[in-house]
Amino acid sequence: MAGAQASETSDEDDAGPFTRWVQKSIRNPDRTYRAMFYVVTIFFLITTLFPFYWLLVLALTPTDLVDQAGLLPAGFNPEAFITIFEQLPFHVYLFNSFVIALGTTVVVLVLASLVGYVFGRLDFPGRGILMILVLAISYFPPAAFLLPLFRLFTGNVEILGLSSPFVFNSPIGIGLPLSALFMPLSIFILTTFYGQIPDGLEDAARVEGTTRLGALFRVIIPLSAPGVATAGVLTFINVYSEFFFSYLMTDGQAQNWGPLVWGILGYQTQYAASYNLMAAASIIGVLPVAILVVIAQERIVSGLTSGALKE
Amino acid sequence: MATERSTEAGRRSGVYARAVRWLENLSETAFAYLLLAPAFLLLVVIAFWPLLSTFRMSLFADSISGAAQLGEFVGLENYINLLTGQLDTVALPQPFFDPSAPFQSALIVTFIFTIVSVFFETIIGLGQALVLDQKFRGRRWVRVAIIIPWAVPIVIQGMMFYLLFRSGIGPGVAVVEALGGSTSPLVNSAEALPIIILADIWKTTAFMALLILAGLQSVDRSLYDVAKVAGATKWQQFKTITFPLVLPTVLVAMLFRTIAAMRIYGLIETTASCTTVPSLSCLVVTTFSTRRYGTASAVAFVTAAIIGIVVSVYIVRYWQGSEGGV
Repeated sequence: MAGAQASETSDEDDAGPFTRWVQKSIRNPDRTYRAMFYVVTIFFLITTLFPFYWLLVLALTPTDLVDQAGLLPAGFNPEAFITIFEQLPFHVYLFNSFVIALGTTVVVLVLASLVGYVFGRLDFPGRGILMILVLAISYFPPAAFLLPLFRLFTGNVEILGLSSPFVFNSPIGIGLPLSALFMPLSIFILTTFYGQIPDGLEDAARVEGTTRLGALFRVIIPLSAPGVATAGVLTFINVYSEFFFSYLMTDGQAQNWGPLVWGILGYQTQYAASYNLMAAASIIGVLPVAILVVIAQERIVSGLTSGALKE
Repeated sequence: MATERSTEAGRRSGVYARAVRWLENLSETAFAYLLLAPAFLLLVVIAFWPLLSTFRMSLFADSISGAAQLGEFVGLENYINLLTGQLDTVALPQPFFDPSAPFQSALIVTFIFTIVSVFFETIIGLGQALVLDQKFRGRRWVRVAIIIPWAVPIVIQGMMFYLLFRSGIGPGVAVVEALGGSTSPLVNSAEALPIIILADIWKTTAFMALLILAGLQSVDRSLYDVAKVAGATKWQQFKTITFPLVLPTVLVAMLFRTIAAMRIYGLIETTASCTTVPSLSCLVVTTFSTRRYGTASAVAFVTAAIIGIVVSVYIVRYWQGSEGGV
């Protein structure tokens, strides 16, 4: 059969390798699908990874040769990766972002755990309305919260005769709005996970004499560890990547808790001709989340997929 | 000394024991509300109160020169002026809605951005999800490569596309020129908007792909076996099994993306700046920074209302669709 096919194709005058491949594919559609699959996959890989590659090219190209950089760097000058820490305190910006993201994640996990437990395992009047209320927050653009929060955080709002504390330029100024903004996602992930723990396990712990809160922290949460990890990873990435409040809730000085946003924009505005610094700073800034994605990809996928299934 | 400490400890454990007993004796409803209290306190202070406050501010006139933050009470005047276009040249940096300058008016820019980017994200996201749903060698790394753009900080995403399309250095400029564009696309409104859309598609398609992947993985695999026995081609399998079963998930994912896309701000600020591509959120921030608090609040609330209307249209149509279809 194979021999017959070969002689058939060689009979034709202009049967190049491509024509032969097409003819084979027509006889065997699975081959076509396989080939299409690889073409599509490689296309996706190139389109998602090319911007990263371009950053690397620019970061390695010396400033004066930047107009000659093509698909390969013009020259090789890795110094930019050191210079970015000298021109601006880029490590401080990174550290600030880290602290804000970690702190926000802890606050969100604790509060969302309590809410997730209530929504997932308790039955009480008003449950549906409260859940919709939580979801409704995500409809509003951050811009709709900005003006009052700005006044609240700069000490311009009086509550019972006391002016509000000045938390602009502090991790709280960025962390609090972001906690509220990203809590709904964690609440829905944790509600799903906590709701799946069989009632018997909680009842057994209660019979043993564990308190209500003890049952939550010693039984429900440990059993839902994957869900908690997922919610934590997603919150961390979301906060670390956020722009709006990170940009507007500080004046951008590194010593005033300016986060990564300001470190990167600093190179865009103050060192407008140093494309290698902009690119190097971007690469360093993306590394923490890139590593996190590589380590926690299973968790991220299962988190987003379980969240979607619930809807 | 020792007795003092022990009585203190005793007192503390007494308080603790009493607190535990009080907790244990609460009804389920009271216990539920107690646990909800901290989170809802945060939401009230950070989300609900600001929303009401923004609405109240939108009912007052601007006070640009005076010491006061707001002028006199004007009711719905800000909204009326905004929607009739009377604020366009007076208080706003860019018009809210002006058909004669579509790439300069916030509402049109936001709608073009949302519709085009969500459309392509859905199509490409479906393609990525179909790839990720297959089993093949190296799937783990392909998956990482596809997810990574989603985790990239917005400011770095903006920086990437700034460096790709910056006149003089970006390889993207040659592409724009070949398509008949200018040599500095990032300062040209009509050319910067497609670049912003491209950047958004690059980053958020992965989010779409993951949500759709969830839908794909919940499809009953035995359906495909039945289809194969019946002699259906791969395309027929996709058309009659995969697509209808995944459609509800795709619609939910599109809803999420639409809400997020209508709030676009950071990407624009980093790549092209708000003066070149004014979205609705851009308009709020720029108006706010010129101390026109009344106007800025009105724009913010109109933005929220527009998102609310779009969301309701989605939900109503989805409900009607699912009732009529099934």
